[in-house]
Amino acid sequence: MKTLLEMKDLHANAGEKEILKGLNLTIHEGEVHVVMGPNGAGKSTLANSIFHNPEYTVTAGSIEFEGENIQDFTTDKIAKKGIFMSFQLPEEIPGISTLNFLKFAKGKMTDRPVKIFEFKKQVEEYMQELNMNPKLIERNLNVGFSGGEKKKNEILQMLVLNPKLAILDETDSGLDVDAIKTVSKGIEMFKNDKNAVLIITHNTRILSHLKVDYVHILVDGKIVKTGDSRLAKEIEENGYAKYK
Amino acid sequence: MLKVNRTPVRTSRNFKINNIKLEDVNIPEKVWSFKPATITSSNLVENNVAVSGLTYGLGDSLLKNVMQCANHKAKITVDKQDKDIKMIYHFDDENTNLINYIEIDAKENANVIVEYKSNTEKECFVNSIIKIVACQQVMINVFVINLLNESSNFFLAMENSLEENSNLQYTVIDLGAKNSIQNYYANMTGESANNDLQAIYLGRKNQLKDINYIAELRGQKTNVNIDVQGALKDNAKKNFKGTIDFKKGCKKAKGDENEYCMLLSDRAKSIALPMLLCTEDDVEGNHSTASGKLNEKEIFYIMSRGINKQEATKLIIKARFQKILERICDEEVRNELMEEIDRRLD
Amino acid sequence: MSKIQVEDINRNIYDIKNEDEYAFKIQKGLNREIVEEISRQKNDPEWMKEIRLKALETYNSLELPTWGPDLSELKMDEIATYVKPKSKLNTSWDDVPEEIKNTFDTLGIPEAERKSLAGVGAQYDSEVVYHSMKEDLLKQGVIYTDMETAVREYPEIVKNYFMKCVPVNDHKFVALHAAVWSGGSFVYVPKGVKVDIPLQSYFRLNSPESGQFEHTLIIVDEGASLHFIEGCSAPKYNKVNLHAGCVELYVKDNAYLRYSTIENWSKNMMNLNTKKAIVGKNAQIDWVTGSFGSKVSMLYPMSILNGEGAKTEYTGITFAGKGQNLDTGFKVIHNAPNTSSVVNSKSISKEGGACTYRALVRIAENAKQSKCSVSCESLMLDDNSRSDTIPVNDIQTDEVEFSHEAKIGKISDKEIFYLMSRGLSEEDAKAMIVRGFAYPISKELPVEYAVEMNNLINMELKGAIG
Repeated sequence: MKTLLEMKDLHANAGEKEILKGLNLTIHEGEVHVVMGPNGAGKSTLANSIFHNPEYTVTAGSIEFEGENIQDFTTDKIAKKGIFMSFQLPEEIPGISTLNFLKFAKGKMTDRPVKIFEFKKQVEEYMQELNMNPKLIERNLNVGFSGGEKKKNEILQMLVLNPKLAILDETDSGLDVDAIKTVSKGIEMFKNDKNAVLIITHNTRILSHLKVDYVHILVDGKIVKTGDSRLAKEIEENGYAKYK
Repeated sequence: MLKVNRTPVRTSRNFKINNIKLEDVNIPEKVWSFKPATITSSNLVENNVAVSGLTYGLGDSLLKNVMQCANHKAKITVDKQDKDIKMIYHFDDENTNLINYIEIDAKENANVIVEYKSNTEKECFVNSIIKIVACQQVMINVFVINLLNESSNFFLAMENSLEENSNLQYTVIDLGAKNSIQNYYANMTGESANNDLQAIYLGRKNQLKDINYIAELRGQKTNVNIDVQGALKDNAKKNFKGTIDFKKGCKKAKGDENEYCMLLSDRAKSIALPMLLCTEDDVEGNHSTASGKLNEKEIFYIMSRGINKQEATKLIIKARFQKILERICDEEVRNELMEEIDRRLD
Repeated sequence: MSKIQVEDINRNIYDIKNEDEYAFKIQKGLNREIVEEISRQKNDPEWMKEIRLKALETYNSLELPTWGPDLSELKMDEIATYVKPKSKLNTSWDDVPEEIKNTFDTLGIPEAERKSLAGVGAQYDSEVVYHSMKEDLLKQGVIYTDMETAVREYPEIVKNYFMKCVPVNDHKFVALHAAVWSGGSFVYVPKGVKVDIPLQSYFRLNSPESGQFEHTLIIVDEGASLHFIEGCSAPKYNKVNLHAGCVELYVKDNAYLRYSTIENWSKNMMNLNTKKAIVGKNAQIDWVTGSFGSKVSMLYPMSILNGEGAKTEYTGITFAGKGQNLDTGFKVIHNAPNTSSVVNSKSISKEGGACTYRALVRIAENAKQSKCSVSCESLMLDDNSRSDTIPVNDIQTDEVEFSHEAKIGKISDKEIFYLMSRGLSEEDAKAMIVRGFAYPISKELPVEYAVEMNNLINMELKGAIG
């Protein structure tokens, strides 16, 4: 099995403050990983460090993707390598329709012009699967979308851009039961044995709809325990107290 | 004719907002000492202080008047924490003219209340300068209260200098005087200095309010918030000029300005000039102003609970003022103000 | 994050300079003899000559504005106020002299006429060299002609409306305009006539050290409607040129007028233009304005809502680059009950350019139940530039809904990061955000101008900083 992401002894700051304090994580093709942890453990820092968010700094350790050090890559280059990140709070960009944006991004990602007719059809199919209002693609990117619509729009973008590794940062938070089911369905649609998913979450709700290979417990900037889905169950029942 | 309170940036003369022109205001030049002044402070109060100039202020004539004729001066150097600095000026039949200079050098945290109040029907005159230096790391809370009678003239120039990490909370409650003319300037040089200025004005009959608030952001990560809530009854008139000036170098600074004017009569006049000036890119500036009458739906809702229209109106106005009044910790003062607002809204 | 540079407008096509050839160029400066000579050259009727001479007196009595951009570089003694091109007024492009026609060809004017316009006027220096309109509009009684023809052929109308909407003493440059005006367009749309496709007048100033003072007078009669487009450009010279046009618009009861302007003067131009509209009962005027050119602009279109239920919308974008000081905005006077106004203004400052949004909203005492909402946003692309917002809101009665919002700032790093995480390069991300910022305005522009505007917002990285 090919290794996709490998992080070794990763230390990272959010602003001035050290959040990740020596994190190790390896993800192979075909795997679904879940990183769980209490608030402030470093979950979002993990995702944003991989993506070279200027608000975060990696101070030590390494991040490799498919054997290549990606630490100095700009965010767009990381995306082009085949990593996708769904945002907790997707930005609203006025003046550009969701469809045109997707088409533009897809073109950049594949370095090929996008055939609009087929592309639109494909997007509409995905939207149907995700129970999204088809009118949303004409609206400006995320502008005036509800919280749930924004989250679904992230999953839609994941499906459209079809990365090798999808990092889903708190995609389930703030969603109702039906929306969680839909999002899980989107992840199932995406998943195959050539790609991988990293789900970052603080609760276990989404896991009941998904087949998960590894569950990692992140506390105070380090992974303190790794197990299978039974570990998530244990957290659901007992919380993180034991690991603090 | 007196022409005062210049707007920091001129605009078309036809807009009538570059300054305020007042007829029939005499600046008294010969004044006796002002007796009904009480100053409370646990720090040293000096009365013999030299008057220094102002960056903005209300204009040369009024500044000169303070420099030459001040009949009450006070300088407090806050070396130890002082939660209860009070400067109370209660005008009476014998003491109607106050030319006033106050300087507070805050090296430690302090709470300051300055109150101007008429206990007389006679026309009163105030020409006052209040200067505050908020030193590094200091938190200072200032309240200025104008409760003069409605035949008086009130001129007030406030000037503040904010050092690194200082925090200046300023509250102006302007209810009194026939002509109430205020100038406020915050020079925010220190990194991460914070200035929160909140003000209430209430005008009725023929009261005139001319309010000119200026904040210059110079230090990095400085932050200013200006929030002004007002109501105008009868023939009252108000000019609000609020300027947030992002000076070169104030990276990551933020400025917010909001003015809301409730119009309670079809003869009340409200002019607002909320300015944003900017020569720095990495900043965030916002301003908003709104005016209009009270929300009919809100009034209806309150009336449906058995409250008459006048009471409902008062309730809504006071509710809008509430947040600002709550900053005053001194309960006695707060209650006095509430009653006063109630009375003036009748 | 690195800094971006927004490329300058590709000015090549605007910068084509023709030889300064003219049939007649008045001596530089301004005095009674010069004004009389212009009047003689133009064969003014006596009443017009009187207006000019009186305006000159007013000009001499008025001060320069004491606010706004610095105008000290403008030396009236060095400006020729009247330059007559070597061409008469033509109704066919073929008759326009080759060189002048080539200029307008390059600017795409005859092309646009064939494609998407109901009529075209083209002014070169001080005179209109071409004017034509579609046959069917002529039959419906629409008049679209140059201003001089209107003075000759419709003196009664012109006398009633000329300098009545904009009073001669409004400010110094209006007085100057009234004294030396030349060229411009006159439009009359009769009652109930709807002109579906736009009319366009294009103003080109070729001659150096000169001024353009065209007068546009449009009357849209009751229940009629019109879309009028005005375009302006000039090649760049080292000396200052002056544009002090005047636009007077009368939108009668129930009528509709949309007035679009793309101002792309060269960067040696002082653009001191005055535009006003008087709007009748239930009538509406919409302004769409793109200000890109000129060295200094002072331009504040004004809607005077005199009729009950009158409406106005202003949609404007100002884009100031190196060496530009663009002081623009909008004025509205609510003079009648139930009137409404909506203002949407955007500005972009870069490379030391300065944008000022200067505005007035006045809701008069009798304008009960009126509404006004204003939104302005300014984008700073670097820390050498300047952006000021100076709006006066004068509310004189209580039964109104008024709100004003303004924002200032740079492109959000968070937005850039979000777009980059989807594979867009930093420059693509920034360009997308700036285009998105300008989109509410560009969508209101005629298509060919919107495309042009988007092309302006092409960016390149200028090298990383910090």
